[in-house]
Amino acid sequence: MAELPLRGVRVIDLGWLTAGAATSTLLLDMGATVIKVEGPGAIDPFRNWEGADATREWWNESPWFNFTNRGKASLCLDLKDPRGRDTLLRLLEGADVLVENYRRGVLDGFGLGAAFLRARFPRLVIASISSQGETGPERDMVSFGSTLEATGGLAALTGPKHGAPVITGRDVNYPDQVVCLFATGAVVAALMERDRTGQGAHLDLSQRELTSFLMGEELIAVAEGTPSPRHGFGPDGEHLRDNTAHWPGGSAPVRDGAALSESPEFQNGTAVLRAPDGSAAKGIPFRFATRELAVRDACHRLGADNRAVLLDAGFPPADITALQEAGVLADRPRKGPPR
Amino acid sequence: MKPLAGRRILDLSARCAQRPHALATAMAGRICAMYGATVVRPDGPMAFEGPLARFLDAGKQRDGDGFDAALGDSASLTEAPITVRFSVFGPGEDPPMSEFGLLALSGLLDIVGEADDPPSPLAGHQPAYAAGLAGSTALLAALHAGGRETIDISLFDVTCWLNWKVAAGVLVMGRAPKRGGTRADWFTLPAADGHIALVYQEKDWPPLREMVGTTDPRFETRAGRLTHRVDFEAAIRPWFAARTREDITREAQSRRIPIGPVRFPAELLHDAQHTARGFIAPDGTPRPPMLIDGIRPHG
Repeated sequence: MAELPLRGVRVIDLGWLTAGAATSTLLLDMGATVIKVEGPGAIDPFRNWEGADATREWWNESPWFNFTNRGKASLCLDLKDPRGRDTLLRLLEGADVLVENYRRGVLDGFGLGAAFLRARFPRLVIASISSQGETGPERDMVSFGSTLEATGGLAALTGPKHGAPVITGRDVNYPDQVVCLFATGAVVAALMERDRTGQGAHLDLSQRELTSFLMGEELIAVAEGTPSPRHGFGPDGEHLRDNTAHWPGGSAPVRDGAALSESPEFQNGTAVLRAPDGSAAKGIPFRFATRELAVRDACHRLGADNRAVLLDAGFPPADITALQEAGVLADRPRKGPPR
Repeated sequence: MKPLAGRRILDLSARCAQRPHALATAMAGRICAMYGATVVRPDGPMAFEGPLARFLDAGKQRDGDGFDAALGDSASLTEAPITVRFSVFGPGEDPPMSEFGLLALSGLLDIVGEADDPPSPLAGHQPAYAAGLAGSTALLAALHAGGRETIDISLFDVTCWLNWKVAAGVLVMGRAPKRGGTRADWFTLPAADGHIALVYQEKDWPPLREMVGTTDPRFETRAGRLTHRVDFEAAIRPWFAARTREDITREAQSRRIPIGPVRFPAELLHDAQHTARGFIAPDGTPRPPMLIDGIRPHG
């Protein structure tokens, strides 16, 4: 087997939830080393999960967090503390990629804005994934994935022909999923460009734009004066009968999660894989014939790699201990339990 | 940024045996063109027409040879150093399939919509386009690494991957989310001039309650609002129905509630955010959905 395509690429992951964190996971799956950085006062919101037991280490037990972030080194570092910020800057000296999807303005507030980082680390590829993009009059509009389905044009054409428009809701949040596929490619493209020019890049990835882009033919159709109506099941006679989807030329059962998990295609597929410890892990949506993509490691506990990551970056052991004693490095959130 | 400048990619979308494969291939080719590749798309029986062709075939040529990579399905692919092969379930597993069928099989149809209504397929070509994005990302990685490679993209795997909470629900949580289930408290509501998307988290409930002016104690918890969904919706509907989408959005956003207007593609052509960022060309063609160091790439 050949080496993985991104072997040697080092990623600092300030990505939260799915849009940021799962982008870093795809980079990891293609061979990158990923260090996930969270703060003791700012853990990934995915760690704060419904059903958490406040008497236990709930932050290490979130099923969806662990599913998404398997295989990453975990560094728990307080970026609000100047010593934490300085530590991150040291780590960025050896990094190729920074992935972040904080609310716009938060990184600037830490003194870690993209313009500053581009000037200081000219070879760094910075992937900023945001709802609206870095600029524009609605840059600060608060949105989740399903809000972007509405503002991006997907919801208007989704739903019953004579009913209300439909959003995918909490269990899908479609724009958060699809952006990972695009953003990961954009990072690889920027790394290729860096190989040519020596220059990194700041990638300003707007989820709202991607949602609209994926309706591109509809934008062109309305500009030509031929807008599509909301089709319901589809424009070509698609329909449902007896819990089966029918279309001209074929049919397929409408599966729920239980039926899906029992189906051989799913069990033989790559959408959900297993970590070496047997836990279910986010899968990999492509296969390479000469390079084996696999989930190679389970999820690390919060802060489990603090010392190893900093030793690797050249910090003297005494300095690491001082950061731990000052609470700049931590292995648990300051606040909790979850709501 | 033109990292693929000088690379030649063969896009066999018009020669694929099935439409989802053709759409995925064409999207992957579109992304390669965006990154500066010379993309050659020979004609064939599956060629797109109208707005679909103008969107997917933008920036592609008809003729050429000497390719670094080829995109297509098992029926269309020819020899190239790197191939990206789209299939339904995996190499050579290509039963007759539509995007509607992919949504049904992956659970992404069943999860979307209101509990009492039939499920709703996502508009447009989401399963195929997502597979195209997966294919272009994998191709970029293979080109970056160098050497020969065969990349397989299963349309079914990609659709399940997008729908991971349902796909992994039984394995991770013991049960999968269901349409209209215990988390289904985001939905659209009529406004005076269209619809808005009611999207919020538990922390947003106090400001949302204050905004719409409801005091009913049954709605104080999420469980209560779900249990009394019909009454809850009836209680808040008048507030939204009396206001325009713009007024509702302004009120909600001033309280940091992630509510937004349902906008139609026709409205997006003049959307303030898209316009300010130069996202849509005058003929309606969306430009690449990102800025690089503040500049939008061509293509």
